[in-house]
Amino acid sequence: MDNQPTAPRTALSIRGLSKTYKGGLEALRDVNIEVNEGEFLVILGPSGAGKSTLMRCLNRLVEPTAGAIFHQGREITSPKQNLRDLRRQFGMVFQQFNLVKRVSVLTNVLTGRLAYRSAWRSLFYSFPQADKRIAVECLARVNMEHKAFQRADTLSGGEQQRVAIARALAQQPAVILADEPVASLDPKIARQVLNYLKQISRELGITVLCNLHQVEYTREFAERVVGMSRGTVVFEGVSSQLTDEVLHRIYYRDPGDADREDAE
Amino acid sequence: MTAPAFDSVVAGALREEAGIRNRRVLKACGWTAFAAGVLYFTATQIGMKPAALVAGLPFMWDFLTRLLPPDLTYFQYLVGATIETVQIAIWGTLLAVLFSVPLALLGARNTTPHILVFHATRMFLNALRSINELVFALIFVSAVGLGPFAGVLAIALHATGMLAKFCAEEAEGVEKGQVEAMQATGASKLQVILFGVIPQVIPAFISYTIYRFDVSIRSATVLGLVGAGGLGFSLIKTMKLFKYHETATCILVIFLLVLVSDWICAKLRARVL
Repeated sequence: MDNQPTAPRTALSIRGLSKTYKGGLEALRDVNIEVNEGEFLVILGPSGAGKSTLMRCLNRLVEPTAGAIFHQGREITSPKQNLRDLRRQFGMVFQQFNLVKRVSVLTNVLTGRLAYRSAWRSLFYSFPQADKRIAVECLARVNMEHKAFQRADTLSGGEQQRVAIARALAQQPAVILADEPVASLDPKIARQVLNYLKQISRELGITVLCNLHQVEYTREFAERVVGMSRGTVVFEGVSSQLTDEVLHRIYYRDPGDADREDAE
Repeated sequence: MTAPAFDSVVAGALREEAGIRNRRVLKACGWTAFAAGVLYFTATQIGMKPAALVAGLPFMWDFLTRLLPPDLTYFQYLVGATIETVQIAIWGTLLAVLFSVPLALLGARNTTPHILVFHATRMFLNALRSINELVFALIFVSAVGLGPFAGVLAIALHATGMLAKFCAEEAEGVEKGQVEAMQATGASKLQVILFGVIPQVIPAFISYTIYRFDVSIRSATVLGLVGAGGLGFSLIKTMKLFKYHETATCILVIFLLVLVSDWICAKLRARVL
């Protein structure tokens, strides 16, 4: 990629986003984030900061209580938005991989094509040849094509996550949402998985939003960082700006302690 | 905490424990007495008299001597009925599988198109389950006539109720992550069910179907009593003709059939799970 980007274009624009769950839990409070086209953005924060909720608002697995999200200038939080069309543009990668365990690796990747195909064809668990080609290509991108016909639950954690990345890629998405993709993996495998995600972002120009709670990985992989704490954005910048003061703001604002800490 | 204060905290907790224990013992005594009263009352109501059993022993002995030994030459006439019994079970179970898949999906909270459909389906399934195969067989014998087809329908309906309810509960217990992953791809509701729910339910469903087949064999051996084909018909026929040695052969064949089916089904289920 040697074409020099001029001013970065905005891929996602999150404005005044709030989410209060039934029962009163305030997961997000007036979140504003701009995400650039093709960047690898890490959302850093402790468990319970609202990172997962934020991601699920983007593909509307969770309906926000207030605020709006724009994707390439179009409001995707509008009630008129077709959910299938929306979701196929957002590939998702999960902490627990969430592969369909009892079917083959290839079938798992093919499920990334479901949004493009009719339910009638799916009834026979059959996919067109073109989809199979796409699926195998996506598997090859994460070097998993040699396990295409193995059952998903026979793979190791790292392999499962690579297949999950291939599944997200098979959607030919504009954005990949990775929700704590390496939280259940050991450090070596975790770096491998993050490398694949970053490589995909760079080579295919896919915007990647990656939730992490580990500072180390964030410093290594993030192009830009958004720090979240208790449902609000408390930092936005590049990883070199993650000073001790910033990390303290992200991690140690316990509920109720905020005022006292601010005074310290 | 000072030593006397500490001692009093410990003593207080122990006193509390003793109180809880006493209350529990009292409660257990009360319930035991209540249950004993209910059981005694029901026993008198339904005429459970051990003396009657003792007095009846000579008659039972008389019946047994008339049954035994089984007339082994009658075996050859039971081959057809035995095969018919298995055939009734096969088709009854197969039809139940076909009916129960859609019914299970309509009757599971997470796959039903509407909560009212869910309640209606569960109600229907409960009705199917509460009616015994023999009752269904009586109805179908009058509808489609004497013979094994009535037995097939009877087993199919009852087994549908059982299988579909089991399958619906399995569908409700699936791992949510796989379902969410399918939703996130933009799959339609039906596609989410096909790829996110069904693969998770299949092993338990197959295993339960095999178990149900085993149960259907047992049911099919008695459906003949009301004229719905199979070994039961031979059983009732020989009894009505007072050919008790042949009746004994029927009982023996039923016993062997159930034994073999139980064994095979256990093996099959072990392979699926």
